[in-house]
Amino acid sequence: MTTTTPPSEHDIHAYVDGHLDSAHRSEVERYLARHAEQAEEVHGWRQDAQQLRTLLAGDLAPAPGLDPILVRETSRRRRAQRLAVAAALFVCLAVGSIAGWTARGVGTGDAPMADAMQAYRLLAMDHGVGMDITTGNETDLRAWLAGRIGSDIRLPDLADAGFRPIGGRLFATEQGPAGMVLYDDGNGHTVSFYVRPPGPARHLLPRGAREEGGLLASYWSDGGHNYAVVSTSTEAGRGAAERVVARSI
Amino acid sequence: MSDPRIDEALRSMLPRMRRFALWLTRDAHAADDLVQSAVERALSRWHTRRDEESLRGWLFAILYRLFLDGKRRAARQALLLGSISNDEPTWPSAERVALAHSTLAAFAALPVEQRSLLLWITVEGMSYREVADILKVPIGTVMSRLSRARRALRQLGEGDPESPSLRLLK
Repeated sequence: MTTTTPPSEHDIHAYVDGHLDSAHRSEVERYLARHAEQAEEVHGWRQDAQQLRTLLAGDLAPAPGLDPILVRETSRRRRAQRLAVAAALFVCLAVGSIAGWTARGVGTGDAPMADAMQAYRLLAMDHGVGMDITTGNETDLRAWLAGRIGSDIRLPDLADAGFRPIGGRLFATEQGPAGMVLYDDGNGHTVSFYVRPPGPARHLLPRGAREEGGLLASYWSDGGHNYAVVSTSTEAGRGAAERVVARSI
Repeated sequence: MSDPRIDEALRSMLPRMRRFALWLTRDAHAADDLVQSAVERALSRWHTRRDEESLRGWLFAILYRLFLDGKRRAARQALLLGSISNDEPTWPSAERVALAHSTLAAFAALPVEQRSLLLWITVEGMSYREVADILKVPIGTVMSRLSRARRALRQLGEGDPESPSLRLLK
């Protein structure tokens, strides 16, 4: 082998790092002896490597916190913590959702058809005192409602459910004129049928029901009107309201 | 799950991992955080380790990738925050190191990969094959990168006044 063949990059580095066997080493050395410029560079590299080894070889102060046993323990605890946080978050969400669902409609501003319940309170408890129109004639009542609220309102026929209308009254609400027709079954049970426009915000209602202060309101929207049927939240009132709603929708 | 032999093997590698982490992060606290993350990852991925793989190379690869991931994340954040900071932060105690030894200062000023290469090969005495495996590049690439790293260290160490990296250290 001639010394004029330059050693490979690999051999040069292996020479610097002392990875060469003696035969290869002397081969590289022979080459460097004839090439002063490269010899100088490689010499510098050897020096640097030597210095780095010396300067960096010292041991650092021990760090007991990095022991695998502790790291294991820490990550186990962190996992447990994360799990606990996730569980707590889930419980919060669940409680919030359930509470939110249960309390839907509660709160003065958003309680759907609160005006219908107020109207019921105002009139039904006194059994029709203060009516605008007192008649049991459904045709008259239908005409009365059509003229004031809307001609497309379907007044439920509750005769076969045992309820007869006893009269109606108008209310002024923020959403527009509201009409209420009271029904009575002759046994002291009163149910109101309440209708009004949804208001300028067109706040239509999904079908629903809510209880408040001993009253039960079932409500829905249909044909551009909001409806409510209000009764007492007793067993009898509930049954009556169900029948009215079933006939109205 | 917890095997004393695994713990012992990892424990014996801790000094090397910390040294490497220190020269990656150039900050003692960040270094130990990095080592802790690496040990955690090593423990959780122990089963994925191939037997013929050297433990040292495997751990260094984990450490190196964790460090690069963290750096990328930090760079992204910096980008989001609109800061125009240099992606290669200066060593906080650069002045002290520079005073202590110009070779060390030069080493600290090298880019991450050159620093890692020199540490693995000259200080740890790892084979070129092992380093090629960590970086997932062919051996020839390791050779040419090593040449670049050694030239860069030489140039910085000799105190070339025109070198921008050295100006950072002053």
